[in-house]
Amino acid sequence: MVKKTKTVFPCDNHFQLRTSDLKKALELALSRGGDFADIFLEYRISRSILMEEDIIKETSESLTLGLGIRVIKKDRTGYAYTNDLSEEKIKIAAEAAASIASSTRAEVSQLQLRQIKPKKEAAVVKSLATSSELKKKLELVQKAYHSALKFDPAIKKVQVAYGESTQQVWIVNSEGLSIKDTRPMVKLVVQAIAEKNGRRESGFYGGGGRVGLEFFSSQLTPEEIGQEAAKEACLLLEAVEPPAGEYPVILAPGHSGVLVHEAVGHLLEADFIRKKTSIFWNKLEKQVGSEQITIYDDPTIPGFRGSYNVDDEGTLPEKTLLIEKGKVKGFLQDRLSARLMKKPVNGHGRRQDFTNWPIPRMSNTYIDRGEYSAEEIIRSVRKGFYVSRLSGGQVEDSGKFTFSVTLGFMIEDGRLTRPVKQATLIGTNLDILQKVEMVGSDLEFGLQTGTCSKEGQDVPVSDGCPTMKISRMTIGGVR
Amino acid sequence: MKSETSNNLRQLAERLVQYGKKQGADEIEVTLYDGVEFNVDVRLGRIENLVEAGSKFCAIRVFKDKRAASASSSDLSISTLQSLIKNAIRRALLTQPDEYAGLPAPALFKVDYNSLKIYDPEVSRMKLQEKIKLALTTEKIALQDKRITNSFGASFLTNELRTVLANSNGFTGEYLQTYCSLSLGLQAGQGDNLVEDYWFSSKRHLKDLASPEEVARKAVERTVRHLNPRKIKTQNVPVIFEPTMTSWLLAFLFSCVSGMAVYQKTTFLADRLGEKIGNDLIYVVDDGLLPARLGSRPFDSEGVPTQRTVVIEKGVLKNYLCNTYAARKLNLVSTGNGDGNSVVPNNFYLEPGTLKPEEIIKSTKKGLWLTKTIGHGLNPVTGDISRGAFGLWIEDGEIAYPVSEITIAGNLGEILKNIEMVGSDLEFESPICGPTIKVAEMTVAGI
Repeated sequence: MVKKTKTVFPCDNHFQLRTSDLKKALELALSRGGDFADIFLEYRISRSILMEEDIIKETSESLTLGLGIRVIKKDRTGYAYTNDLSEEKIKIAAEAAASIASSTRAEVSQLQLRQIKPKKEAAVVKSLATSSELKKKLELVQKAYHSALKFDPAIKKVQVAYGESTQQVWIVNSEGLSIKDTRPMVKLVVQAIAEKNGRRESGFYGGGGRVGLEFFSSQLTPEEIGQEAAKEACLLLEAVEPPAGEYPVILAPGHSGVLVHEAVGHLLEADFIRKKTSIFWNKLEKQVGSEQITIYDDPTIPGFRGSYNVDDEGTLPEKTLLIEKGKVKGFLQDRLSARLMKKPVNGHGRRQDFTNWPIPRMSNTYIDRGEYSAEEIIRSVRKGFYVSRLSGGQVEDSGKFTFSVTLGFMIEDGRLTRPVKQATLIGTNLDILQKVEMVGSDLEFGLQTGTCSKEGQDVPVSDGCPTMKISRMTIGGVR
Repeated sequence: MKSETSNNLRQLAERLVQYGKKQGADEIEVTLYDGVEFNVDVRLGRIENLVEAGSKFCAIRVFKDKRAASASSSDLSISTLQSLIKNAIRRALLTQPDEYAGLPAPALFKVDYNSLKIYDPEVSRMKLQEKIKLALTTEKIALQDKRITNSFGASFLTNELRTVLANSNGFTGEYLQTYCSLSLGLQAGQGDNLVEDYWFSSKRHLKDLASPEEVARKAVERTVRHLNPRKIKTQNVPVIFEPTMTSWLLAFLFSCVSGMAVYQKTTFLADRLGEKIGNDLIYVVDDGLLPARLGSRPFDSEGVPTQRTVVIEKGVLKNYLCNTYAARKLNLVSTGNGDGNSVVPNNFYLEPGTLKPEEIIKSTKKGLWLTKTIGHGLNPVTGDISRGAFGLWIEDGEIAYPVSEITIAGNLGEILKNIEMVGSDLEFESPICGPTIKVAEMTVAGI
C-alpha cells in the first residue's frame, strides 16, 4: 500500500531545504519573543485546458513555489512570505515575521523537529492527473464539448474548462511538528448556451475532487457532464420569471448545500466567534434552530474537494459536529482561535497559498439526513417554490444572507410545475433555521467544483444536504 | 539599488524571449512582476496582523503555428522558466490552430509614463510606526461613537509593483506603480439585531488618501444608518444607487461590453454597436491615461498603449473594450484593456452629472436608496439582475427608515434606459466608479 502511494505521488523535495534550515528559521522567527512560529512550504503545479468555438484554444501550466513564516504573540500575528527560498531571503522573512513581538532579544530553547505521517485517505487516486499524458485530458475535454453541443439544436455555444493540480505542502512549527502532505485535485466543467426565439440561457455542470483521472470513466463521464449542462440551458429556455414575495420553499438535495455553507457554516468559524462579530458567538449549547437540523463539517471524506489529510497549519482534521438537533455544538477552529478560546483544535485552519496565513474555514459541510421522503415533503406544499439549483450565496456576520437560484420550479398542489429562472432568496439565518419544517432522508452532495472565498482567500470546498422544507422565505423576483 | 533590480528583470525577460525563439516559438511574451506588500490589521486598539513581503512572479505566452499556450511561475530560477517555455511550445502543438491568436503588432506610439503619476516614492519611505498609527487612529476615532458596538478592524496596506514586459515583436517596457489603502469595518446594534458596513480610501499617492477622521466618520455613518431596519411589501419603485452601488452596476456593465463576452456572444450587448442602448444622460468611458488614478497604466498586459475609449455616448453604444484577441475576433482594434487572456477595465466610469445626491433624494416621493447588495445573481447573457439588498426607504423626498431582507430585480438593458438622474459626486476610489444615479423603476421584493 505504502509502495503504491509512492509511485502515484512523486515525492521530490522541490524545496531543496533541509530540516536544519527550517529549524534555524524557526529559531530566528522566535528571537524577539514570539509565543509560536510556523513555516508553510508549498510547491504546486496546476494545469488547465480551455475549449470553445470547436477548438482547444489554450493550455496553461503554472508553478507555485514559496514559503510563509508566521509568528504569533498572544492574539497578534506577524506574517512574511517569499518565493525565493535562498537562505538570505528566508532569513529576511523570518525577521519580518518576528517583529510582531517586540523584545529586543529572547531566549529560544533548542528545537527538535519530529516528522509526523498523516493518514493518506483524503485523495482517492489511481491515475494522478498531473502525471498523466496531456492527450488523455484533451480527449476528456473534447468528449464533454461535443456531447453538450449535440444534446439539442438549441445549444449554440459550449465552453469546457479542465483544471488539475497537485499541491505539496510541508509544515513545521516551533512545537516540534514536521508534517508533509500531497493534495491532488481535478475538475471538469461545462457551460452551455442555448438560444431559441431570441432568448439566450446558459447551463452549467461539472465534477471532480481529490480524485484521479479514472474518476471520469468510473464515476462521472465527460459525456454526462456535457449533457447535464446542455439540459439545464434548454430547460431554462422554457423557464418563467420568478415570483416575488414570501413562499414556502423546498430545497433540492445536493446543490442546496450551499445554503448550509453560507447561512450557518461561516458564522460558526471560530475567528468570528472569538471576535464576537458572529451572531452565534454566545450560542454554544443553545437551541438556534429546528430539531430537524444536524450539521457536520467533515474534511476526511475520501475524494471530496474539501478534504485534506492535514490542514494548512499541521493539524490532523476531524469530522466536526456543528449543530445537533438545532443546538450549537461546535465551531470550526484554527490554532490561533482555539488557543485564544481555550478549545481543542479540529483541523480547520486553511489558506489559499503560501502568501496567506491560515484562518478557520469549512471543508465539506452538510446537513445530516432526516426522516422524510422527498415526495412527502413536496406533497406537503400547496403553493410554493422549489429550488433545484443554487449557484452561490453570501452572508454577513449579522446572519443576513442571499442565495442565487439558477433554476427552480413552481410547486402547485404538491407537484412541481413550471421551471423558473434566476431568482434570489434572502433571509436571516436564525429565522431560516427555525423555519426548517422537514428534512429528507436523501442526503446528497453538490457538484465537486465549489470554491469558497473569505478575506480574499479562495479554498476548495463542497457541501451537501437532503431535500428540505422551509416554511417561508423571501424570494426576489419580478412578478 | 532599484535600477539594478529593474535591469536584472529586463535582462531576464529578454533572455527568456530569446530562449523561446530559439526553441521554436513563432512569438513569445514574457512578463515579470516584482512586488513589495505591506499590510497591518488592527482591531479594538491592538495590532492583529502584520505582513511584510516581497515576491516575484513570471507569466509567459507562446505561439507556434497559430497555436497558443501559456505558463506562469513563482519559481524564478532560469532552469524552471526555460523548461516551462519548452513545455508550453510542446503543448501548443497539441492544440488546434486559431487564426486570431498571436501578439499585437508593434504599437506606433507610446504613453509618457511620467504623465501618469502612478508611483509615489513616499509610499516606500513610510515608517512602520506611521503605518500602524494610521490604522489605529482610524479605528479609535470610530469607536468613540457609542452607537458602534464592535469592530472588524482597520487596515492600512501599501503595494509597490514593478512590471517588466518583453516580447518577440521587439517590445520591451516597464513601469513602477504604488497603491495604498486605509479601510475600516464596523458593527452596530445589540443581541441578534446586528448591522455592519465599512469604508475605505484607496489611492496611488499617500497625500491623496482620505484622513483617518474621514474614513472613520463615513464608516460610522454607513454602519449606524442600517440600525433597526423594517421589512417592506413587494413593490415597484424608483431606486437610487449611491456611488458604491453605481460602481457595482458599472462592473456588471463592464462584463457586458468586454470584447471577450461580445465575441463569445455571452452578453446581451453583443452585435449592438451604434445602437441606442441607454438614455441621453449616459456617458461611459474607459481611460487608462488619467493621472494618478488606480486604473491608469502606460500599456496593457500585451504591451498595447492604453487610451481613452468612449464606451457609451449619449446612450449610444460606441465601443467594446478589447484585448488583441477579442479585437481580431470582432474586426476591431485593441483598446489597451488586455490582461493575460482576458479583458480588464482601466478607469471605467460613468461621467458625472450636475445634481447633488440630496437633490436626487428630494426628487423622490417614494423609493429605495440602495446602499448594499449581496449575493451573485447577475446574468450577462440576459442582463438580468437579482440580488439581496439593503437600503434606506425614502418617503416624500426624505430618508424615512432603513430596510433589510429585500431583493432587487431588474435588467441592465432596462436600467440603462431608465436612469433619469445622474449625480455630480464621482470619486475615483476604485478602477470602476460612478456617481449617484436614480433609476425610474425596479422591483423591490420584501414580504
